[in-house]
Amino acid sequence: MAMAENKIKFGKWEASALIITLIITQLILGFPRLMVETAGTAGWIVVLYVTILALLAFFIIEKLYSSFKGKDLLDISERIGGSILRILVGIIFLAYFIFIISIVLRSFAENMKVITLQQSPISYVTMFFIIGMIAGAYAGIEALVRFCAIVMPIILAGLLLIFIAVSPHFNFENIFPILGTGPIDIFGKGFLRVSVFSAISLLFFITPFIKTHKSFRTVGYVSIGVSAAFFFVGTFAYLLVYPFPIGVEGFLPVYQLSRLVEYGRFFQRIESVFVLIWAASALIYLSSVFYFIVYVFKKTFKLEYYKPLILPFAILIFNISLIPPNLVTAVELESKYIRTYVWIISFVIPIVILVTAKYFKRGTNKEEKKNA
Amino acid sequence: MPKNVHIKCPESIEGVKALADYKNIIKQLLFFNVPPKDETFILKERESEIKELQSEEEEQQPKKRREKGKIRKITNPCCDNNTGKEGNGGNGGEEDKQNQGAKSPTEVSKKLSDNLEYMKKIYSIPTNGDMVLREFDIVVKNEVIPAFMIFFDGMTDRKVINDNIMQPLMLLSNLDIKSDEQDVESFVKDHILPHCQLKVEKKYRSIIDEVNFGGCALFIDGVETSFVADVKGWEHRGVERPNTELVLRGPQEGFGELLRVNTALVRKTLKDEDLIVENISIGRRSKTPCSMLYIKDIANDDLVDEVRRRLKSIDVDYIYDSGQLEQMIEDCALVPAPQILATERPDRVATLLTDGKVAVMIHGNPFVLVMPATFPELLTSPEDTYVRFPYGNFLRIIRGIGIAFALLLPGIYVAVTNFHHEMIPTDLILAIAASREKVPFPSVVEILIMELAFELIREAGIRIPGPIGPTLGIVGALILGQAAVAANIVSPILIIVVAVTGIGSFAIPNFALGFAFRILRFGYIFLGAMAGFLGITTGLFLHGLWLVSAKSYGVPFMSPLAPKVRVGGYENLLARAPIWKQEVRPDYLNPKDTRRQPKISRGWVQKKEGEDGNGGKQD
Repeated sequence: MAMAENKIKFGKWEASALIITLIITQLILGFPRLMVETAGTAGWIVVLYVTILALLAFFIIEKLYSSFKGKDLLDISERIGGSILRILVGIIFLAYFIFIISIVLRSFAENMKVITLQQSPISYVTMFFIIGMIAGAYAGIEALVRFCAIVMPIILAGLLLIFIAVSPHFNFENIFPILGTGPIDIFGKGFLRVSVFSAISLLFFITPFIKTHKSFRTVGYVSIGVSAAFFFVGTFAYLLVYPFPIGVEGFLPVYQLSRLVEYGRFFQRIESVFVLIWAASALIYLSSVFYFIVYVFKKTFKLEYYKPLILPFAILIFNISLIPPNLVTAVELESKYIRTYVWIISFVIPIVILVTAKYFKRGTNKEEKKNA
Repeated sequence: MPKNVHIKCPESIEGVKALADYKNIIKQLLFFNVPPKDETFILKERESEIKELQSEEEEQQPKKRREKGKIRKITNPCCDNNTGKEGNGGNGGEEDKQNQGAKSPTEVSKKLSDNLEYMKKIYSIPTNGDMVLREFDIVVKNEVIPAFMIFFDGMTDRKVINDNIMQPLMLLSNLDIKSDEQDVESFVKDHILPHCQLKVEKKYRSIIDEVNFGGCALFIDGVETSFVADVKGWEHRGVERPNTELVLRGPQEGFGELLRVNTALVRKTLKDEDLIVENISIGRRSKTPCSMLYIKDIANDDLVDEVRRRLKSIDVDYIYDSGQLEQMIEDCALVPAPQILATERPDRVATLLTDGKVAVMIHGNPFVLVMPATFPELLTSPEDTYVRFPYGNFLRIIRGIGIAFALLLPGIYVAVTNFHHEMIPTDLILAIAASREKVPFPSVVEILIMELAFELIREAGIRIPGPIGPTLGIVGALILGQAAVAANIVSPILIIVVAVTGIGSFAIPNFALGFAFRILRFGYIFLGAMAGFLGITTGLFLHGLWLVSAKSYGVPFMSPLAPKVRVGGYENLLARAPIWKQEVRPDYLNPKDTRRQPKISRGWVQKKEGEDGNGGKQD
C-alpha cells in the first residue's frame, strides 16, 4: 500500500480545489463576523492585509521549498533532525489537526442543529459528519481531491450567488468610518487573523502527490488568491448588509445573508439550499483533514497501513468534539486560541524547518543530490 | 472495500461450514484486512505523451501542442510492436486450440470405421435426434471409396450441403476430370468439392468444434484428414430497430444475434482497414465466439492488451450473454453504475471505437460491450450528436434534470416536508398540509408505499404476457392514481412527485445506470427522512466518493470531470460543442492519434488568402 500511495498523483486543479475548499470553510464558519469583531467597519481592510501577509509568508515558504521538490514537511524534518524531529513535528501537527477538527466538527454540527435540526441531539447530527469522515478517509486522498474538483466550483458558485442575491440590501454607509476601530486594531489585532489561511499547511503535506515545485507554487498562490477574493467579497457583503453593531452579533454570517434573499413571493427563504453547500464543504473539510490526521500519523510512525487507524481516530475525535459543554464554549475555544495562534503552526514552523534544512544542513542535501 | 470477499460455495452446504463462512465474511467486513499486493491496471500516458508533458513543463510553452491545424501524426514506437502483438494474439488463439486438440485422445484415423465409431460415441448417435450422419460412396478415378458426413440438422443450410457437397461427391466425381492427381485427399479438395469455406482438419477436437458451430465434417476412407465445410444456416432475427436506444434522427439499425452480422454492421459503418476484429472464444464447454474490436492506430495498446488479457483469462463452462460477460470483466461489482457501456447501436459502437475504445461482441447477443466507459458518457444518447448542437444541448439539459429528479426528488420531498417547511412558500405549504391532512402515514411511509407500487408496476409490466398488458396499465393507473388518493392513503401531491420521479428515470439513456439510480433513490429517501438536507448531502458525498474512486479499465470513472485532463473530452462532456469544434479525442483514453480533425474542419469557412485560422474561430 505504501508503494501504491506514492504512485498517487494529482494535478494542480485538484490540489487547488482541495486547498480552496478547506480555506473557504472559514467563510461559512463565521469569518466575516470575526473580521467585524477585529476592526469594526474596517473588516474588509483586514482581509486585504491578512491576504498580503499570507502571500508573503507563502512566498518565503515557496522559495525555501524549491530545493525540496516532492518532499513533505515530515521528510524534511527527518532530514535535519532524524526520526526524533520527524516524530516531534508529526505530533505537533497531529495535535493541531485533531484539535481543530474536533472543534470544527462541533461547530458544524451545532450550527446545523441550529439551522435545521433543532430537535435532534448533537451526537446524532455529529454522526452524519463522522460517517462522511470515515468514508472519506477510506476512499483516500485521490477520491477526495477528485470530489473536491467537482464540488468546489459548485460551492463557490453558490456562495457567489448568495452575495449577489443580497445586493439589494447593500447600504454603502455601513462601511464608514473607513478605518473602523482604528489602525492598531486593523494591523495589530488583525495580524493574528492570518490564521484563516492555516489550511494551507495541508499543502506542505500533499507535496509528494503534486510532484513538481511549479505546481506547488501555482497551487499555493491560486488557492490563497481565490479564497482571499471570496473572503473579501463575503466580508464586504456582510458589512454592507449589516451595520457594525448587528454585524458583531451575527452567529453565522453567510447563513444570515442567505436568509435575506427574497425575490418575489415565491423565491423567499431559500436558505435551506445553503444547507447543501454548507454540509458539502463541511464534509469535505472534515474528511480531508481527517485523512491527513491518519496519514500524518502513519507517516510519522512509519506504519505500513493507515486504514486500521481510521476507526480509533474517528471515535477519538467524536469524543473530543463533545467535550465542550456548549456551542459558545466551542466557538470561544476556536476564536480565542486556535484562530489566534494557529498561524504559528501553519506558517512559522514550516519556515523554521525549511530555513534550518536549507541553510544549516546543506551537506546532507548535496549528498542526497549526488546520490540521486 | 470488501472486494476480496470470496464466498467459496461448499458443495454440500453443511451447517458448520456455512457458519464458518459467515464468520469469515463478518471478520472481513468488520476488521482490517491487509490489502492484496497485486497491482490494479492503470491506463498510463503513452511515452511520447509523457515526454511531451515534460518538455512542455520545461519549456513552459503550453501552446506548443496546438500547432496550426495540422493533423498531428504521432510516431509511436508502440505502433510497430502492435502488429507483432496482434500476430501473437492470433497465434495465441490457435495455440489454444491446438492445446485443446492435443488433449483429445486421437486424431483422425485412416480407417473410416474407426472414425465412424468415434463420431457415434462423441455425438451419442442415435440418441441425439438432430445429428445427421450420412454414409455414402464416392467414386475417385474409377475407384469406389466409402465415406460419411456428419452435421447438425437445423444449424446448417441443407441446400448448400446438397448442392455443394453431396452432389459433387456422389455425381460429379464420375465425370472425367483432367488431372493426374493420385492422392485422394488433394483430388477431392482440389477438384471435387466446390464449396468456398473448406478446412482440412486432422484433430478430432477442431472438427467437433466446427460441427458444433454449424459445420459439416466429411470423412473419407483411407484419408487421414477430414474436410470441414462451413455451412452455417440457422434461423435468426434480422437486422431490426434497436429496442433500448431509439432515436428519431440517425440510423435505425440495431445489432442482431449473429456475431458475423454484427461485426459486418460495424465494419459497414466504419470503413477502415485499421479496424481489427479479433476472435476469442470464451467458455470451456460453450466456446462462445466473441470478437474484440478496436482501431489499430487509435486505441491504446495497453488498453487493448488489458481487454484481451481479461477476456482470455475467463474460465467458465458456459457463457451466453453479454450481461454475464460484462460481470466477468468489469472492474468492481459494487460501484453503483455500469463500468462498461452496453449498446445495441452499430453507429454508437463505431463512434466510440473512433474515440479509441475497445468493443467486445458475443455471439447470440445484440448488446455490444464498449469499454472503458465513463460516467458522463453514460448520460449521453447518440442522438445528441445527430441533431444540431443547440437541440442536442437542450436534450442534455432536460435529461440532466430528469436524472436529478429520478435520483433525488422523493428524498427532497421527504426532507422538505419533515425538516425544511420554511423553504416552501406559504401558499404551497398550505396546499400540501391540506392535502396531507387526512393521510394517516408519515410522509416517508407514504412515499415508500407509492415508490414500491411504482416499482411493482414497472417490473410486472415487463413480465406480464402481452395480451393482458393493457390491464396492468388500467390497474396501475387506478391504484396509483385515483383510488389511493380517494382512500386517503396518499396525498395527491405525492402522486405528482412519484410520477415525475418515474418519468425522470425513463429519461436516463442508459438502462443499467437507470437501475443504479432506482435503487439509490430509496437510500436518499431514508437519508432525507433521517436528517433532511444534511442527510441528502451526506448521501451525495458518499455517492460522489464512490463514483470518483471507481475505475473502468484504468480510466477514472468520473474523468474528465475529475481528474481533470489536459485537453480533449470537454467538447462533448455535459454540454456539447458544435461538431466542428470537437477536434481532439478524449485525453483520458490516451489514444495513439489524439486529433480527430484539424482546427478548421470545414474548409469552406476559410478564404483562400487567409490562413491565420480566424475563419474557424468566427464560427
